[in-house]
Amino acid sequence: MRIHFTRKNLGIPYVLFLLIFVVMPLLVLFYFAFTNGSGEFTLTNLTDFFTNPNTLGTLFYSFAIAATTTFFCLILAYPVAYFLATSKLKARSVIIMLFVLPMWINFSLRITALKEILTLIQGNLAFYPFANSVIGMTYDFLPFMILPIYTAIEKLDPALIEAAKDLGAGDKETFLRITLPLSLPGVMSGIAMVFLPSMTNYVVLDMLYNSTFIMGSLISSYFAADNWNGGSMIALILLLIICIFTLLTTTKEEDNKDGGNLL
Amino acid sequence: MKNRHSHKNILLVFVLTLILIIGLILSNLVFSPPAFAKTEDDSDLAQTSQTSSQEITLRICNWEEYIDEGDWGIDEVIDLESGDIFGENSMIDDFEDWYEQTYNIKVRVEYSNFGTNEDLYNMLTLGDTFDLICPSEYMFMKLMSEDALTPLSPEFFDETYENNYYIQGVSPYLRDIFDSQEIEGEPWSKYAAGYMWGITGFVYDPEFVSEADASTWRLITNPEVKRQVTIKDNVRDSYFAAVGAVNSDLLRSEEFLTDPNYTSNLETVMNNTTSEEIERVQDYLQQAKDNVYAFETDSGKADMISGRVLANYQWSGDAVYSMDEAEADGLYLNFSAPLESTNIYFDGWVMLKNGIAGNKQKQHAAEAFINFVSRPDNAIRNMYYIGYTSFISGGSDSRILEYLDWNYGADESEEIVEYDISYFFTGDMENSVTDYVLTVDSEQIGRQLTAQYPSPETIRRSAVMLYFPPEENLAINRMWTNVRCYNLENLPIWGWFIAIIIFGLILWVSIKKTFDFFKRKIKKNNS
Repeated sequence: MRIHFTRKNLGIPYVLFLLIFVVMPLLVLFYFAFTNGSGEFTLTNLTDFFTNPNTLGTLFYSFAIAATTTFFCLILAYPVAYFLATSKLKARSVIIMLFVLPMWINFSLRITALKEILTLIQGNLAFYPFANSVIGMTYDFLPFMILPIYTAIEKLDPALIEAAKDLGAGDKETFLRITLPLSLPGVMSGIAMVFLPSMTNYVVLDMLYNSTFIMGSLISSYFAADNWNGGSMIALILLLIICIFTLLTTTKEEDNKDGGNLL
Repeated sequence: MKNRHSHKNILLVFVLTLILIIGLILSNLVFSPPAFAKTEDDSDLAQTSQTSSQEITLRICNWEEYIDEGDWGIDEVIDLESGDIFGENSMIDDFEDWYEQTYNIKVRVEYSNFGTNEDLYNMLTLGDTFDLICPSEYMFMKLMSEDALTPLSPEFFDETYENNYYIQGVSPYLRDIFDSQEIEGEPWSKYAAGYMWGITGFVYDPEFVSEADASTWRLITNPEVKRQVTIKDNVRDSYFAAVGAVNSDLLRSEEFLTDPNYTSNLETVMNNTTSEEIERVQDYLQQAKDNVYAFETDSGKADMISGRVLANYQWSGDAVYSMDEAEADGLYLNFSAPLESTNIYFDGWVMLKNGIAGNKQKQHAAEAFINFVSRPDNAIRNMYYIGYTSFISGGSDSRILEYLDWNYGADESEEIVEYDISYFFTGDMENSVTDYVLTVDSEQIGRQLTAQYPSPETIRRSAVMLYFPPEENLAINRMWTNVRCYNLENLPIWGWFIAIIIFGLILWVSIKKTFDFFKRKIKKNNS
């Protein structure tokens, strides 16, 4: 048999990678989630999750942390991205790099530094666990919000803004009716990139001494207690939430065609 | 045409996945679960290869930073009267050399670490194989009850063998415990040889926390150290502390303390896992959650040394380390073992059945390793390096005692007190032997010395925390999750309000999206 090295074959390594490290673990996850300790099919893992006020509370708490983080990231990131993208600064790319720069430093190092700063400010970290977790997450995920918004605004055709001004729109109106709607895809992908990881990134909470579990720590506590099935079910539920969320935030090409978007 | 092609690809992917899964399940069935079942069939094979004198590989898994890794500074020589002790190479390298010199067989140690007992157990169930591991007592009890361990050989307990340092040197007090503690009718000592032991208590800053406050488990809910005390982020340690705290009055009452069955009563109280007790513990830990600085896994030592917290629930070995480090910065910390009870714990070497697999040569090397780290000079090296307390009292070898004197003995200029640890050397709790009464600087009391070698009074109120059977373990773990999770019932009205608004928003967006989608579809079909 002859082997054809077509372009398609170049994808084989990735398909293999996908199979072994994505598809397989997922199936194992499914298997564990719907079985009990002795391997029999069961739905108790699912019902346990939705009847326990503690696991539901954890879901809620994670949501609250993630939503607050996303909100603050958005508030901080949008003006920065807007001014950077619209300014005529020569050093623009340098400034953008300054925002991305923290991502090159190891994450735990950054959080440790933040810990010291917060301790200096507050005296004792432990009094504001929720606020500190949000600060830590915002610090950590801010670049992921800035970049997509920046790209979206930067890609905007200046002709559109000129046209708006030609037709008599003021700065405010131009922003509200042209720039803002057209930058929404960037905002949406920014939200997805911040919201989802901050629901599970429990290392930040651990390092900033928040003793309350979020989804990530809940799963790991189940695993540590040798309860692989319950933990898998929670992971699965989280996956489902992420799927729904991604479906909601991504704009399909189709949408753009006749949904009023001009891009 | 193009469509059919992509279907085929999906099918291919699916089939490949299926093959992989079946492969995985099969390999799992064959190799791992039941995790420790496969043993005997390997032994024949092992026996045949035994005669050829090739290299043995010994896979050891120990706690992180729990053995001398050598490379000491030149000023760190421990100059005892009977000779200097110095860690030049790592203990592992030294063992490899020593074994080859002594038995003429090459041994190669594959040394790895684990972080918690539960991690170790997970490593074992996920298919890692080791020959020799060093879990805490409850974990080797669990492994014993699962029949996963190989018993130590009779030769290991023969004191007449020159190189049997463990049995020659193990503290009689600890040896008694290992002989008398049982699970399912088998004594610990059948499978386990002790390595390090210790108690639990608080490291605290005496400038801000009084000794009386630090001498009770209730310190963790004491408002005077609000957000300035840490406890352990692990179920068992927290459970013990909470049981001590909720039963504080009983445990400290005259009546309880003078009861002739004090020791066994104490063990019963501290290992109470009835559902009422678990509920009380849950309530207490929930209170504690609002008072502690953190449930810490590893940060407690650093936070204590840097002065960020005033008190820190600690294992005695880590307490010694914290006090040493803080002292180097000019901060003097104390250690207290709460008056209610203190958890005495033991980390012991056990051999895994599926690792050793009946290979006598391997078992010999594993037991030789235990003996090697039990040789008094090596025990001292490890103690010096990690801060924990070795099982070895030395037997006829006096070096452990010399080391204690070297480490804690008083100078002439200092205020001298006598500190009796005869129990450790003789196993006799009642009578003291003058040889084993140390003369120490009075400042040592309540500090490193009392953490490393607890006084007989502390030992008297120590309790072993037993291995809980699966259902009780599950209940305790559930309690722990309840403590750590945000309970929906605590959500205030405004929280519900916001939640409902956000949920409504999401619902609205998703309905709108699906609606739009179908609308477009219909439009497309029409046109």
